[in-house]
Amino acid sequence: MTGFHVDAVVLAAYAEGRLADVDAWSVEAHLDRCAGCRTGIASDASTALVVEAVAVALGGRLPMQGRVRRATGWRRIRVLVGAGPAARAAWFLSVAVTGVLTAGLAVSPAVVPPWLLLLIAPALPAVGTALSYGPRTDPLHELIAGTPQGGLRIVLWRTLAVLTVAAPVAVLAGAVTGIGTPGLWLLPCVALTALTLALGSLIEPAYAALVVAGAWAVVVLAPPVGGLAVLVSSGPGWLGVTAVAAVVVYVRREQVGRQPA
Amino acid sequence: MTTVSVDGLRVSYGKRVVFDDLDLELGVGVHGLLGPNGAGKTTLMRVLATVLRPDRGEVRLLGHHIGNPPALRQARRQLGYLPQAFGFYPRFTVREFVEYFAWLKEMPPARIPLAVDRAIERVGLLERADDRMKHLSGGMLRRAGIAQAIVNDPRLLLLDEPTAGLDPEQRVQFRALLRELGLDAVVLVSTHLVEDIVAACTRVNLLDGGRLVFTGLPDELIAAGGDGDSGDSPIERGYTAVLRGARTAPR
Repeated sequence: MTGFHVDAVVLAAYAEGRLADVDAWSVEAHLDRCAGCRTGIASDASTALVVEAVAVALGGRLPMQGRVRRATGWRRIRVLVGAGPAARAAWFLSVAVTGVLTAGLAVSPAVVPPWLLLLIAPALPAVGTALSYGPRTDPLHELIAGTPQGGLRIVLWRTLAVLTVAAPVAVLAGAVTGIGTPGLWLLPCVALTALTLALGSLIEPAYAALVVAGAWAVVVLAPPVGGLAVLVSSGPGWLGVTAVAAVVVYVRREQVGRQPA
Repeated sequence: MTTVSVDGLRVSYGKRVVFDDLDLELGVGVHGLLGPNGAGKTTLMRVLATVLRPDRGEVRLLGHHIGNPPALRQARRQLGYLPQAFGFYPRFTVREFVEYFAWLKEMPPARIPLAVDRAIERVGLLERADDRMKHLSGGMLRRAGIAQAIVNDPRLLLLDEPTAGLDPEQRVQFRALLRELGLDAVVLVSTHLVEDIVAACTRVNLLDGGRLVFTGLPDELIAAGGDGDSGDSPIERGYTAVLRGARTAPR
């Protein structure tokens, strides 16, 4: 302890860094020995400054946060829907080709026959869905199959991603061909996709898509009595197919997207 | 406390039977899984990772019976799995890859951003966290694979040949990470490198032809070997001695 103490004004100036170096050194030398003056430094204002300075300094030392996004509900949907290989180049290409064909038909039915669009457009989501999962087509299959969101859940997310792109193309194709009501083209789209998921719980999804697309081709190329419009207009039939497929998918949910390689 | 228990496991691929009536108990700690090629190491890993369904037998992971779907989902949340070979989406960055698995493992959202960076930091890949997977070397890919396996702080961690492709320095770091993880989790590591076992494992299990022919401490495996057994290190001699003993004994 010493006999004299640093003046409060000088102490405050020191704490805020306003003293000349020489004066600061002598204040520091005194503070080393005097506990009373040390407590005098800890005024609220300067403490807040110190805390802030420390926070900035520490923050600067942390590794870069990079592009980690805040874990919001939207982020979850974006990651789960967008991550999958649903957007495979080959499949995107076929959606684009269908778009071009639709435009071709809009120019003239002689360029593109309407039945060709009916053959392709509703089968696209089924094929895209099947390509987005399964041991042969998804490089991460083995890893995803062991996670709680794997299996049916992730397959449904990816199906959603595929339908979001393919369904508008189908409706557009429906409008251009003039076969049935354009909005009703969604029904065979969804039904064929559900059928693929159901069959994909029994065999490799890619093969399931082949079988479903093949069956669809037979139905379109050998149109029922009344022509192709009947195919699009038989709404209850497609709803029935979708319902049956959904039941199969539910019963075999542990097999959907979790087949061992 | 036993946290993994396998009882009467039977697994087959078509007509080829890999396991017939296998029993196994694992507690907290790092367990080495040794055995020649084709002994069933990867098959056992895949069954415990809930990727391969057994034909028969009871498998309990962390107290959850995997035959019961809600319990299976609980178990999967606490599981980490690194397969021997795994693919990736080339356009993913390391951080996106690990984040994807954090969501797939249904982690609480508030924990995800920090857990992702921590997992990448633990495997020493933070410098490359925003690089695309297709630009990584083989060893880095494997470390990214380890990062996705540990992102959820799993209570059961299954690593199938995790040290393949790592250079000696990375192997040393990886063993230190293994010892750390084994303090409060069940860690099962399959490997061909017996020095990994001595350096990092608290127990060793040896599979041969679908049978568990040895389970015990690394020192006990070392003690099983004699001077006459082939091998360049004490544990290699123990390994060959146990295998020879198992193969000459009547089944």
